[in-house]
Amino acid sequence: MSGTDISASSTVKERADLALNNEFLRQAVRFTTERLRSGKMTAAEQHGNWEEWRERGRQIRLHTIAHLDYYLNLFADNARANGVHVHFADTAQEAVNISLQIAERKKAHTVVKSKSMVTEELHLNHALESIGVEAVETDLGEYIIQLAGETPSHIIIPAIHKNRYQIAELLSVEAGETLPADTAILAGFVRRKLRQKFLEADIGMTGCNFAVAETGSMVLFENEGNARMVTTVPKTQITLMGMERIVPTWADLEVMATLLPRSATGQKLTVYMSGITGPRREEDADGPEEMHIIIVDNGRSLQLGDPEFQELLNCIRCGACLNACPVYRHIGGHAYGGTYSGPIGAVLTPALNKNVAEWDDIANASSLCGACYEACPVKIPLHEMLIYLRRRKVENGHGSKLESLGMKGFAAVMAKSGRFNGMLKLGKWGQKLVVRDGGIKVKLGPLKGWNSYRIAPSLPKKSFRDGWRTLEEEIRHGLKDMDPAVKSRMEAAIKKRAEGASHSHER
Amino acid sequence: MRVSLFITCMSDAIYPRVGEAMVRLLARYGVQLDFPKVQTCCGQPAFNSGYWEEARTTAKTILEAFDGSDFVISPSGSCVGMIHHYPKLFEHDPVLHSKAIELQKKTYEFSQFLVHVLGVTDVGAAFPHRVTYHPSCHGSRLLGIKDEPMELMRNVKGMEFVPLPFAEDCCGFGGTFAVKMADISGAMVSEKSDHVKETEAEVLVGLDMACLMNIAGNLRYRNEPVRVMHLAELLYEGVKQA
Amino acid sequence: MNDEHKDWLAYMDAQSRDKQMLFMNGIARKLNRPRVTEPPSHPFRGAPDFWQTFQWTEQERIEKFTDNFRSAGGHVLRLADMAEVRQFITDKSAEMSVKYVIRQNEPELDALNLESALPEVKILVWNSNSEQHWKACAAEADFGVVVADYAAAYTGSITVLSSKDKGRTVSLLPTVLIAILPVERIKTRLGEILADFDDAGGAHLPAGIHFISGPSRSADIENDLTIGVHGPGVVYALIVG
Repeated sequence: MSGTDISASSTVKERADLALNNEFLRQAVRFTTERLRSGKMTAAEQHGNWEEWRERGRQIRLHTIAHLDYYLNLFADNARANGVHVHFADTAQEAVNISLQIAERKKAHTVVKSKSMVTEELHLNHALESIGVEAVETDLGEYIIQLAGETPSHIIIPAIHKNRYQIAELLSVEAGETLPADTAILAGFVRRKLRQKFLEADIGMTGCNFAVAETGSMVLFENEGNARMVTTVPKTQITLMGMERIVPTWADLEVMATLLPRSATGQKLTVYMSGITGPRREEDADGPEEMHIIIVDNGRSLQLGDPEFQELLNCIRCGACLNACPVYRHIGGHAYGGTYSGPIGAVLTPALNKNVAEWDDIANASSLCGACYEACPVKIPLHEMLIYLRRRKVENGHGSKLESLGMKGFAAVMAKSGRFNGMLKLGKWGQKLVVRDGGIKVKLGPLKGWNSYRIAPSLPKKSFRDGWRTLEEEIRHGLKDMDPAVKSRMEAAIKKRAEGASHSHER
Repeated sequence: MRVSLFITCMSDAIYPRVGEAMVRLLARYGVQLDFPKVQTCCGQPAFNSGYWEEARTTAKTILEAFDGSDFVISPSGSCVGMIHHYPKLFEHDPVLHSKAIELQKKTYEFSQFLVHVLGVTDVGAAFPHRVTYHPSCHGSRLLGIKDEPMELMRNVKGMEFVPLPFAEDCCGFGGTFAVKMADISGAMVSEKSDHVKETEAEVLVGLDMACLMNIAGNLRYRNEPVRVMHLAELLYEGVKQA
Repeated sequence: MNDEHKDWLAYMDAQSRDKQMLFMNGIARKLNRPRVTEPPSHPFRGAPDFWQTFQWTEQERIEKFTDNFRSAGGHVLRLADMAEVRQFITDKSAEMSVKYVIRQNEPELDALNLESALPEVKILVWNSNSEQHWKACAAEADFGVVVADYAAAYTGSITVLSSKDKGRTVSLLPTVLIAILPVERIKTRLGEILADFDDAGGAHLPAGIHFISGPSRSADIENDLTIGVHGPGVVYALIVG
């Protein structure tokens, strides 16, 4: 089963069910995310003071986004001063149009691309192909999924859902001979094949991990060297960057360079970190002669000034939330249905799409466990944003009728303890029909989903409130005096609270 | 000093034994809990599903119930975590907003109260069994309850503690998630049970009955003979045995 | 570049400037405040304070760099002087039957006089004439020889900067990269190197700044590590001094 099949299904539940029935996919995703997750934990521990670094990363991102007009403007001016042609695109369509115009002007036959989520978001490869330009993905994982005709299922490991046999099959078609399912041989084939593409290509196209405002430089993190190829070999470079990719200075980049690779793969630094400041200098013998940077909004600015979602723009696209997510682990990336998957995708996709109803259902694919927040190197509260998305859906009248009725009933019962008590009594009477050995197995009504995997507990003879009076009497009878030490501790706690302290270190 | 029990609707209806264990255990320190009967549910099911108006309706019973309390103690990190959302939930109502902040400050999850307020890390229990522990997400991640239960368990005599592999992974409960996304939730809880089984523990202990109900239900469905208990129950049973 | 294309670029740039203003105004409007045009105070600039003062001794820097670079799959040798570098390259060339070496155009490398040490090997000096297609030369080379501008011990990275005499492809296209690293250029932290780029400012930065932390690698197939995907699969850092 391919990822395309998964994406074609309409609801997140249907897509997830397909993934859940694909034992291979689940194993592959589990295996890789576990490795990345433990790599991250080891790297963070080795580095030390991780919480301070996270907080620093968050502060830098918050500051930059809060002053985005200043820093983005500065970046654009400086990049232009370095000789870059800077463009602004409000929409995906505008960004695509600018890219295509450049390709047409340069009479390009081939574009080589390094991994870029923003170009995935714009569906740029399709657009290039529509005007007869061949677009070649050069990151090994991206190349594999391009051959498969799929979309990435992970932000940093796009082909996480494929095994070596499937990959060998895909590459064998390309090679015109049967290649063995051996990683070194497969990678060697891709190296040779793509080396030729790099040397022939007219345009190199990249994304942008960070853009340094004060010097107008764009920064790329990668391990393979393909992004260096793409930014060095072809005569024209086009970089597409989300408008929020800015950091003020190189000093700030140190923090991002500390957080990003460790969070993504557990590396101290990616094999290559490249800062590109303008096209080649006149006297240089390599590097692009012409360089374009297209700054893309495409829904990002909708988050600005929205107190519940602005922090979404802090994301540095490390993928740590995917690796930590217990839902992603079982359903993989394609079940999320958008360019971005996992917890960040579940929030970002609806947010970039103005929270329109058709994307809202992916916010339900979360148990709100908070593992994403804990893993996030810039502390984005994704688990809370998921709740805000659900609330907005209800407020906008897109909630399910049945659920809405259920919630009204819930509130009516829970509004008064007497009604709650009455409901419990009703339940105890009703359950007599279905309880066996103190449990309920029937798969009917609301219990269908639950009891497909579990036996539901039955209600005990007496609820806590039913038994309270007896219990209270008994306790009062035998109660000893409070230990003075305990008493003074409790009094101290009350005093401390009055001074404004909160006892829990929750966010 | 008024110390009140926030029983949570689930323990009230399904697991009264947890509340009873808490009441009896704390009585040993001279702390008598009271139980304001107007409390119902913290409102989390509605809040998490996006029905904030409905969540406010039920949350008001909690604000009212504990208005005069000095401490509020609950056997669920998740429901305490919901109280931490109250200031946001009532942000447009100045009166209830300030009540919400006050409530948040005085509300403690059971193990937090025992360790941080009473200063108790050894309740004097003995429990000669092989035990593993599932740290529920909201308690451990949102309230930061990590060391407290460990400390309490370390001091239980005769208990053999086995760490749960991938302990911090969510059990798949997630409230309405378990119903709406039943198959994903089912996959998650099945994996959790696999890990519990790997430990060969006789007892699975935790701090949140919702998660424990989920895991227990799956263990029972699979006929795994693992006893599932709240830490308060384990400690109280251990005290009786010691 | 033909005039028509130049005109088009000029037209696009003019459009972009207009659009830039609207774009920034739009951001300010969404942030519910007037445009920020003066540098805002930036209280959390760069790494946390405790980190800024962190320093290793030279010996520690050498050791940590070596450990980190090796654990990423790179090779590190400690050599006394450039004579040993020359010997190393000579021996390696023989061992690997090297036919073609490309090197940066730097005085330290001139002084190695590799031409006389390796009479059988074709040795090209980067950008030494304008007729050559230099990228193609680099792509054919077995060895690329560069002098590192910096190294960061904490991450195990060397830094190379581009210029007329220092090609970006020399550290990228050859099969083997040999980077000579004068010992005094090894810093403790990445931030010490990055600070120089802030100080220099955009107008004085080279087009390409590359941090290299070992051989090219990928884990895209079943998370199985493969070395040498697009960049050099073998990387030597020769610490000199």
